[in-house]
Amino acid sequence: MNKLFLTGNEAAVLGAIDAGAKIMFGYPITPATEILQGWISKAEKNETLRYLQTEDEIAAGFGVVGAVLAGTKSFTASAGPGHILLQDPLAMAENLRIPFVGIMMQRGGPSTGTVNFSQQEVNLAAFGGNGDGLRIVYSAGSVAEMYEFTVKAFDVAWKYRFPTILLGDGYLGKAAMTVELDKLLAPVSSYPILKELKESTNLRNCYSSEADLSEVLSKNIKDWQKVAPKIAETEKFRLSDANEVIFAHGLVASACKDAILALRKQGRKIGLLRAKTLNPLKGSDFRLALSSVKRAFVIESSLNQFSRIVKYETAGIKTPIFEISKPAEGFTSEEIVTKITEGVWTK
Amino acid sequence: MSIKILLAGEGGQGIQTIAKSLSKSAVTAGFECSYIPSFGVEQRGTPSIAFLIIGRKEIRYPRFEKADYVIVLQKRAIKAIKSFVDEKTKIIFDSSTISAKALPETTAGLFGIPATKIAYEKMIPKVFNVLVLGKLTDVFNIDYDLAWSGVVASLGKKFQANKTIEEKNREAFDFGRHFVFEVANFTKPAYVPSTKQITTIGHHKKAEIIPARCKGCGICIAKCPVGALKYSDELGVYATPIPEVDLEKCIACGNCFRFCPDAAIKVEKTD
Amino acid sequence: MDKIMPTSWRASSKPHLFCPGCGHAIVLKQLGFLFDEMNISRNTTFGIDIGCSLLAWDFFDIDTVQTHHGRTTPTMVGFKTAKPTRTVLAYMGDGAAYAIGLQSIIHAAYRNDPVTVITVNNENYAMTGGQMSPETLVGTLTTTTPSGKPDNLGPGLRGPELISQVASSNAYIARASISNPIQMKLALKKAIENQMKNNAFSFLEILSICPTNWKTNAKDSFAKLNELEKYYSLGQIERKTDEKESK
Repeated sequence: MNKLFLTGNEAAVLGAIDAGAKIMFGYPITPATEILQGWISKAEKNETLRYLQTEDEIAAGFGVVGAVLAGTKSFTASAGPGHILLQDPLAMAENLRIPFVGIMMQRGGPSTGTVNFSQQEVNLAAFGGNGDGLRIVYSAGSVAEMYEFTVKAFDVAWKYRFPTILLGDGYLGKAAMTVELDKLLAPVSSYPILKELKESTNLRNCYSSEADLSEVLSKNIKDWQKVAPKIAETEKFRLSDANEVIFAHGLVASACKDAILALRKQGRKIGLLRAKTLNPLKGSDFRLALSSVKRAFVIESSLNQFSRIVKYETAGIKTPIFEISKPAEGFTSEEIVTKITEGVWTK
Repeated sequence: MSIKILLAGEGGQGIQTIAKSLSKSAVTAGFECSYIPSFGVEQRGTPSIAFLIIGRKEIRYPRFEKADYVIVLQKRAIKAIKSFVDEKTKIIFDSSTISAKALPETTAGLFGIPATKIAYEKMIPKVFNVLVLGKLTDVFNIDYDLAWSGVVASLGKKFQANKTIEEKNREAFDFGRHFVFEVANFTKPAYVPSTKQITTIGHHKKAEIIPARCKGCGICIAKCPVGALKYSDELGVYATPIPEVDLEKCIACGNCFRFCPDAAIKVEKTD
Repeated sequence: MDKIMPTSWRASSKPHLFCPGCGHAIVLKQLGFLFDEMNISRNTTFGIDIGCSLLAWDFFDIDTVQTHHGRTTPTMVGFKTAKPTRTVLAYMGDGAAYAIGLQSIIHAAYRNDPVTVITVNNENYAMTGGQMSPETLVGTLTTTTPSGKPDNLGPGLRGPELISQVASSNAYIARASISNPIQMKLALKKAIENQMKNNAFSFLEILSICPTNWKTNAKDSFAKLNELEKYYSLGQIERKTDEKESK
């Protein structure tokens, strides 16, 4: 384990390589462009790695689909408006259970917004496209997690065959930070989905009747429900004796950790439950935490996209949940401390 | 009380035209009405189904669990209508293409009309659906003029283009309207697709035609340079006429084989 | 298995669900015989689009994937990138090729991606009921041009000619027609061989018929096709050699 000075985008490239990815398709878009460029510079020194800069994100996403069908680990990276376009191939991947991996570095939206930062692509990642959201979504809170969750994304995608998205954000992508990486080895093997056997594989995503599609959906949903408990992950930070809890994810959750240490110094017994996976969410941890405290805060850089998921998973528990949202703007830990200490939280 | 009517047949048979005409007549007569086709992506080759609801009260949802009347005009559509039949459902069917034994069980009665046979033998095949429609307007007690106006509203453009078409359809409509249903001793279903390959040998040639794949598109007939092909009395997979070869005229040029979209015909020299 | 049908045709999906008289099926039959003759069924990946081409998903005993509308070309480009030794076909209609998917075809041609794109052109969006496509000629009645296509929506997009403007000199770009199945099959062969032997891009448009939406019988369908052939010329697209290349 060595100490490195890496940006989140650089860490993602290392993660993809260690995960066994062989082809990247991409279209430049801030703040994800460095992932494409970083991959390309690695590919120039390693002829087992290939890439294609496509004409748009749609072509990039379907390029990933094609390569994955051929049995090669492949991925793309994008953000904001590109993430919107990727819903087209993601929907196909969702229907056909294609191990699609995408790294989305969230930026301000809607529309072209900013190139900088947000947590506004949760809906897109988890529930975008025209399906019911059978996509695995990780949210990275550190440069180390940009590496670790990238490897994880490939593993779960190829093991369980659900499209998998790693959500980062512009700050995390572009911040160079000192980090120690646990090198992750023995990635899950890939295999061709168009099997190239004597008996042909014929895949369709269009069905003639409600019943035909329903049969496919039922199977996919059943599989999802079976693997969800194996995938859903959280981190508990200073939670065991807490009487207040912050629910957060990604880089915002990391800032929350500093805020919690400061608030603890002030005598507040507050902890953090961080969602590492947004979809599936580890609902049991959220329900337990919410039942054990007198109030909860959801802090996010979107208008309640994460909060909505949390509230769905904890419906029925009477503990009040207070939403602190700043769409498309980051939170410093000081700001979090101020908002919590100066807010009026009695109902 | 609303009547729930389910119509089903082969895509291309004119099921939706029947449903549309009935719905237009019902609306003109002042009823609440709802009509929705059920359809997959295919334009032809899968069942064409229509849900029709006619009543006096507001209709909120255009589909239903069980039908009061099921009208089924092609054997291949029976599978699609099975779940909508219970013991109260009256089944109206084309007895010249469907055997009563193939229909789902009901205690409300089976009503046969050999529409395909009548259309083929007494009129022209294309008016088959309007023949059935005529009878249905009688079943649902729709005033004659109102009923015919529904037909015109649906097929008016075609009538305007060709007076003969209007006459033929009217003839079929009137015949259907006055037809008395078979309730027993149903016509034998003779207008059914042939299943076996048809091989003809003669004049140093062998012709093979496969009814199970022939859709009666007529391309082989159009592409034959010597006019050796014409429609026969045999029916193909959609119960439409398939061609037959005059081996004496045939020069075994291979056009029919080359052009057939369904790989349903081939003629070879045998020497 | 009778000898009338190509061996590469999957018997269990016949009779197929293309309309009676559909031009797609005429193309797929010659393509099927070609797969048999070239013995490439086991090494071919067949990509199809959304539109009537989607009906071919279980047509062949060949690895087939039905993609999204206009996205067959980039999917096959991705597949070929991962598996350069396989032959990949991107098969679609004129809506997929010349409207929603045109960008990807132009860029595949521009990069000389070694894929074979086959476009069946029947001058309308058939599966959705016969709307105008970029191929519809002025004056033609469709469901979105019920008074005839006006002259301010384009006269009919000549696809192979357009694509040849950005293609490499060793790309194969051509237009054939189902009116001559023998020549069409030769063109299909050239389009596939150009990928296999020259590792280059191929684009073949095939003029076709749509009796269902044209509302024509067999004879009139081919008469209309004949009219289309007067505007959309058949043959390989001759291209000027790139000046830079000849230096």
